[in-house]
Amino acid sequence: MNIASTIFSNLLAGDPREGRTLWLPPQDSNLAVNSDLMFWWINIICYFFFIGIVIALVILVVKYRMKKDRPFRTDGPLHHLPLETTWAVVPLLIVIFIFYFGFRDYLNFMTPPKNSYEIAVTAQKWGWLFKYPNGATSDDLYVPTGRPVKLSMRSSDVLHCCYIPDFRVKKDLVPGRYSYLWFQTDDVTPEGWGHNLFCAEYCGTGHSNMNRKVYALAQPEFDAWLTAQSQWLDKIPEEELYFRAGPKLYARCQQCHSLDGTKGIGPSWKGLWARVSGGEGGDGKFVDGTGYQSQIGAGKQYQTPEDYIRSSILNPGEHVVAGYANAMPSFKGQLNDKGIDAVIGFMKHMDEFDTKGKYLKEVPPAPKVSMK
Amino acid sequence: MTTINISQPLDTAARPDNYITHTRGFMSWAFTLDHKRIGVMYLVSVLVSFFVGGVFALLVRTELLTPGQTIPGVTADVYNHFFTLHGAIMVFLVIIPSIPAALGNFIMPIMLGAKDVAFPRLNLFSYYLWIFGALFTVSSLLLGGFDTGWTFYTPYSTTTPAGGVIPALTGVFILGFSSIFTGLNFIVTVHKLRPPGMTWFRMPLFLWAIYATAIIQVLATPVLGITLLLLIVERAFNIGIFDPSMGGDPVLYQHFFWFYSHPAVYIMILPAMGIISELISVHAHRHIFGYKFIALSSIAIAIFSFLVWGHHMFISGQSPLLNTLFSLISFSVAIPSAVKVFNWMSTLYKGNIVLNTPMLYALAFLVLFTIGGLTGIHLATLNTDVHLHDTYFVVAHFHYVMMGSALIGMIGGLHHWWPKITGRMYNENLGRIGCITVFIGFNVTFFTQFFLGSQGMPRRYYDYQPEYQIYHVISTIGSYIMASGFLLTAYYLLASLFGGRLAPANPWGGRSLEWQCASPPPFDNFSTQPRVGDCYDFSAIRWDEKEQGYVVDRALDPTLNPNLAAKNSH
Repeated sequence: MNIASTIFSNLLAGDPREGRTLWLPPQDSNLAVNSDLMFWWINIICYFFFIGIVIALVILVVKYRMKKDRPFRTDGPLHHLPLETTWAVVPLLIVIFIFYFGFRDYLNFMTPPKNSYEIAVTAQKWGWLFKYPNGATSDDLYVPTGRPVKLSMRSSDVLHCCYIPDFRVKKDLVPGRYSYLWFQTDDVTPEGWGHNLFCAEYCGTGHSNMNRKVYALAQPEFDAWLTAQSQWLDKIPEEELYFRAGPKLYARCQQCHSLDGTKGIGPSWKGLWARVSGGEGGDGKFVDGTGYQSQIGAGKQYQTPEDYIRSSILNPGEHVVAGYANAMPSFKGQLNDKGIDAVIGFMKHMDEFDTKGKYLKEVPPAPKVSMK
Repeated sequence: MTTINISQPLDTAARPDNYITHTRGFMSWAFTLDHKRIGVMYLVSVLVSFFVGGVFALLVRTELLTPGQTIPGVTADVYNHFFTLHGAIMVFLVIIPSIPAALGNFIMPIMLGAKDVAFPRLNLFSYYLWIFGALFTVSSLLLGGFDTGWTFYTPYSTTTPAGGVIPALTGVFILGFSSIFTGLNFIVTVHKLRPPGMTWFRMPLFLWAIYATAIIQVLATPVLGITLLLLIVERAFNIGIFDPSMGGDPVLYQHFFWFYSHPAVYIMILPAMGIISELISVHAHRHIFGYKFIALSSIAIAIFSFLVWGHHMFISGQSPLLNTLFSLISFSVAIPSAVKVFNWMSTLYKGNIVLNTPMLYALAFLVLFTIGGLTGIHLATLNTDVHLHDTYFVVAHFHYVMMGSALIGMIGGLHHWWPKITGRMYNENLGRIGCITVFIGFNVTFFTQFFLGSQGMPRRYYDYQPEYQIYHVISTIGSYIMASGFLLTAYYLLASLFGGRLAPANPWGGRSLEWQCASPPPFDNFSTQPRVGDCYDFSAIRWDEKEQGYVVDRALDPTLNPNLAAKNSH
C-alpha cells in the first residue's frame, strides 16, 4: 500500500502524520488498532468474493453466449442440493467469525477504564463545550496523552454525535441522557495541527460547521494548559475585558450573530447596543408584539439594557426579536458574570472591531495569559 | 392427441384491440379498473418522481464540488432541504412503489394467468392515495419545506422551524396506506386468483418476490403510519412522546422508525431480486438454477427483515446487549443473499446467454449488489461500524443496495417488459450504451464515497474540510456521467413509442405467461384460460422468422403435451 499512501499523503497535504492508507486515516488511539485490523480482514474477504464473483461472471458470460442457429442447450443442472447448501452455510460460518471478533473488540469500546481522565461534554446547536475537572472550559478538545480519557457527554437540544475519525470513536449525544465515549492516545498532536472532531448526527443549519479540533498534549504541557485555561478570564483586568475576552467569546456566537448587519439565525450585533438602549432602531419589536421601549428601561421588565442582554444569554426564549425563531440555547452555566460582562462590553464597543470580531486598535502586551 | 392445435401458441396474434386502445379518453384512464392501465399510470408517476429526485441529487452533488457555497444562493439551509427532498422522494415516491406498484401491477396478474388483481377498485384507490401523498409531500415545499432528512429524527423534526414538516409527514402517512393496500391486494391475488395448474412452486420467481414484499408491506407499514402520527401529534400539540424536554424518548422514535424502515429496505430490494431471477433466466434461455432455494430465500429475507432494525442504532445509545444481538442477527441476511447470487450465477452455467440491454442490467445488478452486500459486513460488525456509522461509507453502501440494486433491477425490468407494456421495441444499441454509461457513472460516483467515508467524512454535510475535496469532485463527475446515461435511456425509450419497431408477443424467448399474450396485452389479458407449463423450461421455445419473435412450441413441452410426457416416461 506504499503507492496508495504516497498518493493520499499528497492529496492530504497539510497532515504532518504518516500512516494514512488507501482506506483509513492514521491510527491515533489505542482503539484504532483492532478496529483497523478487523476492517482489513473484512476487506480481504470482500476482495476475495468480489473478484471471484466477477471473474466467474465474465467466464460464464463469454463461454455460454448463445450460438446462432442452434437449438438451445438444455443440459444445465436444475438444482444441486449439496452445492446450494454449501454456499448457504459457508458464508454463515465466515460471518459468525467476523461477528465474534467484532463483538469482542466492541466490548473494549464500551468499557472505559476506571482510571480514565473524565471530561464533561455538552453539545448544542452548533458547538461543543468541553469542561475539565478543575472547572476550565474550552471549545476545542484538549486531552493528555498516555492515559485513558473518558468523555461524559450530553446534549442540550437535539441529537448530536461526537466523532473523531483519527481515534475511530463515535457516540451519539442524546438529549435527556448521558453517554460515554473513551479512548487513549499516545501521540502528541503535531504543532500547528489538530485532529478533526465532527458532529456526525444531522442537527440542522450549522451541522457541517459543528466541527472542532482535538489536541493531545503530553501530561506536563496538558497540566500547564489546564491551569492557564481555568484562569484566563479571571486574570484579565476589568477594563481590558471587552477586547481581550470579547472576541474570544464571540467565536461561540458568530454562527448565528453577524457583526456586519447580515441577518443570520439570530439578529446581527451591529448597532445592537443602540437599538436596545433607545437609540437608532429602538422601535424594534419582539415576537409577542411588544417593543424594546415597553420592555427595557427603569420600572420595566428589564431595568437596564445590560439586564436585557444578560437575560437573553441566560434565558433566550423569554423575549425573541420579531422575525426570528426561538432557536438560541441557554448559556446558563457556561458563561459566568465576568464572561457576560465581556460580551456586553464587546457589544458596546462594536466600532472598535472589524466585521470578523478582530480588535482594530493595538492590543497592549498581555499579562501572561495563554491564548492557545 | 388433444383437440387443441398444440403446435400453435395461444392468443398471441397482435390484435388492434388492446388495453391501450380498448376505450379512449381521459376518463377511461382516470377511472379505469384495469391493472395494466393503473400500472402504467404508476409507472409514469414514479418515473416523473425519479426525475425530480434525480434533479435534487444532482443539485446536492454539484453543491458539494467545493467546500462551502458552490451554487449561488444555496445556503446550508437550502442544501438541507435538497438532500431531505432527494431522500424522501427517492424512498417513498420512487423505490418503494417502483417495482410492486408500477411493474408489479402490470405484470403480476398476467404472469399469474389472472384477468386482474383481486380488488381492482382498491387498486385504483391506492393509486389515488399515492397521488394525494405525493401532492402533500410536494406541497410542503410551498409551506416552508422540511429539512429533517428522510428519517425525521426527533427532537430535531419536532423543533425545526421549517414549516413543511407536518404536510410532509402527512404525505408519507398517506403513501404508507397506498403501499399497504397494494400489498394486501397482491397477497389476495396470489392466493386466490391462480389458474388451474399454477401451483405455488410453478409460480415465476418474480411472483414469489412480489408476494414476500407484499407481506412486509402489510405488516411493517402500519408501524410507520403510527410513528408518523405520533410525530405529528408531538409537533402540533406538544404532547411529549419522543422529545425529552417533554418527557419523551428520542431513541424510542428511532426504534419505531427503523422497525418499518429496515423492512422497507427489503420492500425495495426483494422485488428487484425477483426481476433479476426473470431477466437472467429468460435472457440466458436456461432453466433457473435452484428454484426452491431462490423462492424460499425471498421468504427468509422477509422474515429476517423484521429482526435486524437495531443495526441502524449501534452508536445511538442503545444498550450493548441489544447491539450485540442485532449485529448477530444482521449477519444472517448474508445466507439468503448469498444463495440468490450463487444460484443466479449457476443459472448462467450452460445457458444460452444473449447480452441485450435487460441482461446487461441483470449483470450490473449482480456486480453492484455484490459490492453493496459485502460492504454491509463492515457495517454489521460492531467495532468497525463505530468508525463508519453516519459517514459516506454508509451513504455509498445503501446507494449500492437501494440504487445500484433496487433501481437498476427496476430499470432492467422496465427494459425487459417495455415491449409488452408499450408494444414497441427500443433501440438495442442505445440501450446497451445507456446501461454501460449508467454503470460506469454509478461506480465513479459511489465507490469514491467508500473512501470518503472510511477517511472520516460524515454524511449530510454542506461544508467540509478541504482535504476531502478531491473525492467529492470525482463523485460529482460520476453523477454527471450517470445522469447522461439516464437521459439517453429516457430519450430512446420515448423515441421507441413513436418510431420503434412493433414488438412481437415474445421478443426475448420468455416462457412465463405474460409472453403468451399479445404485445401490448388485450384488455382482458387472455381470451381463454391460459395453460400453465413450467415457466422456466426453455426447451419448447423456438425462434419464428415470420413473427420476428419467439414462440412456444407446445408440442415440445412435456407439461403441455401429454403424448410427450408419456413418451419421456418410458
